[in-house]
Amino acid sequence: MKLEPYPPPAMDRSIIHLNVADFAVAVERCIEPRLRERPVIVAPAGAARAVVYDMSEEAFRAGVQKGMAVGRARRLCRDATVLSPHPDRYQRAMAALLRHALPFSPRIEPGDADGHLFVDVTGTGRLLGPPVDVAWRLHRQVRRDLGLNPIWALAPNKLVAKVASRLVKPSGEYIVGAGEEAPFLAPLPVALLPGLERDDLARLFELNLRRVAQVAALSPRQLEVPFGRRAGFVHETVHGIDTTQVLAVGEKPPAVVLDHVFDTDAHADPVLEAVLYRLVEQAGVELRRRRRAARRLVLVLDHSDGLRRVRQMRADPATANDLALFALARRVLALAWTRRVRVRRLRLICGGLVFPPAQLSLFASERGEDRRRENLVAAIDRIRQRFGDAAVQVGRTFQVAMPCGS
Amino acid sequence: MAALSSRKVQAGAGTCRIRIGTSGYSYAEWTAAGFYPPGTGSQRMLPLYTQRFGVTELNYTWYQMPKADAVARMAAKVPVDFAFAAKLTRTLTHEVDPNAWRAQVAQYRDGIAPLRQSGQLLAVLAQWPPFFERTPANRRYLAELLDALEGLPVAVEFRHASWAVDRVFAELERRRVTLAAVDLPPLPGLFPALDVVTNPALFYVRFHGRNARGWGSGHMQQQFDYDYSAAELAQWADQRIVPMARRVAAGAVFFNNHVRAQAPRNAETLVGLLAARGLKQFARNLSKRF
Repeated sequence: MKLEPYPPPAMDRSIIHLNVADFAVAVERCIEPRLRERPVIVAPAGAARAVVYDMSEEAFRAGVQKGMAVGRARRLCRDATVLSPHPDRYQRAMAALLRHALPFSPRIEPGDADGHLFVDVTGTGRLLGPPVDVAWRLHRQVRRDLGLNPIWALAPNKLVAKVASRLVKPSGEYIVGAGEEAPFLAPLPVALLPGLERDDLARLFELNLRRVAQVAALSPRQLEVPFGRRAGFVHETVHGIDTTQVLAVGEKPPAVVLDHVFDTDAHADPVLEAVLYRLVEQAGVELRRRRRAARRLVLVLDHSDGLRRVRQMRADPATANDLALFALARRVLALAWTRRVRVRRLRLICGGLVFPPAQLSLFASERGEDRRRENLVAAIDRIRQRFGDAAVQVGRTFQVAMPCGS
Repeated sequence: MAALSSRKVQAGAGTCRIRIGTSGYSYAEWTAAGFYPPGTGSQRMLPLYTQRFGVTELNYTWYQMPKADAVARMAAKVPVDFAFAAKLTRTLTHEVDPNAWRAQVAQYRDGIAPLRQSGQLLAVLAQWPPFFERTPANRRYLAELLDALEGLPVAVEFRHASWAVDRVFAELERRRVTLAAVDLPPLPGLFPALDVVTNPALFYVRFHGRNARGWGSGHMQQQFDYDYSAAELAQWADQRIVPMARRVAAGAVFFNNHVRAQAPRNAETLVGLLAARGLKQFARNLSKRF
């Protein structure tokens, strides 16, 4: 595999990352100040097997973790106040955070009601002052007006800014200058790098590579052995290279769009599902390459008679896993294909792209299923990286002649 | 104009080794303003800066606690005779947590240790905000902080006029802590421009500009937007810098009016004015241009 040289950026970028740690707890504490300094657990009320949605630093120190059964969390932290999640409050707080950042940049990319916000202040120095001062002022204003105390980090790209803010949790700041990306990352554990998935980490650990510096010492060609086509991505990541842009305010995040036009208009479930699965597989590969997960799936069906049906569903949690995406896509297909008319074209849109969520499934059984799905997809990816796309196929895709016309 | 004359200073001042520089060096707008060559990225700014000046003030240490490994990498990029003044972190001067500050002093010491070890730490600047008045509580905190910073070459800069009293100067002199001389807009309540020497080892001057309208804006681009005239700088040289240089072994002068690269331009003007008065700037080859 030949790796392209990294294009040098036109100018040094200055990316601010704001991160309100334990966002749900932080918002609840703004509303009820008596919760400050006390351990707090946010978890659904009434559900027999509910798990922890978020927790305060005090509860975390007592051993409580996200995804833990509430009963166990209560035993570990007996004096914790347990609150039900209020997603509407978190959405409003996120909107307020965004409003505070608006005067500083046209490029602001908020997370999904999770207290994360990227602000690109590149080239604003003459107007607004040094980026580090902008970051500090923004933090100060958010703290004063909203009562939230976000971590802030300033770095030349999103990847490094995100890692930097992870280092100072639950509060603080971190500045990484241009040219400091690689030395900054070098001593850190590889598990801190966004975009390296569980399977990537397992392969690194098998090779006893646990620090970024150890992986960064390997050439792209050496990284091809464990990572195949992902070697370039891994190499960039451990060197702190990330050229992804901060989206403009209001700009819809890029979606993964895939089409299939049937040679003969389709009218049978197995054929449509076979094509749909192939589209989902391709979308999954692209999502994982971009280090994103889809929050929304949209299906567009064009019928033989010219009528178009569009249906969508939300993926909760956001996912880039083929099997989870396909389960959802089948449900959307059931909503969209209600007419007894042949289908000419099928379009799959994976939208609402976000960083893969750290949030675990609420139920233990779902977590086990998630893991099995991840392992299966990772195994298929590995086989295809080594032997090509046609080396392994899911049975249902034999229903239709491929490749897709996408 | 007398202030612009190139008269020689009295014997004694010429032995003072003065370093002149700017508060920070990494400003993208300095490229647009012509101080750095077109296309200069921030990685190249410090090496280029060292070709023009022998000292800089580290501003970022006000925003973030210095980290030893990053400081060591920065020090490795400059000539051995280049010096740094590091601002004390804001959590020790502007946003003090009474329960945490002692631990932060220890952290700060660790962070700047590479500069001490390499002999490149000219001063640690404790700059106080305008709301830091001379009250019993603040006096106590300042004394405790200076105790905690014992052994470091500390300079203190007050913004509030209440600190401009002889008892303060005497205490700083007893501790051998430098009182920073400041040039500020002519606004009531601000610390006056003085030539008081409290430390025979170092005097320290900061030029912030005289933009009275922008001063209270809370916006650096307005607050520090000022271009000193040669006459204003010559007056400072004659009335304060030269007299201080007669009494002190070394001096540091910084320009904080960074907007549109006015700071480095004014710094170079002052270098010429002091040279004409027999004061040599320490180390740098000032004739070098990029």
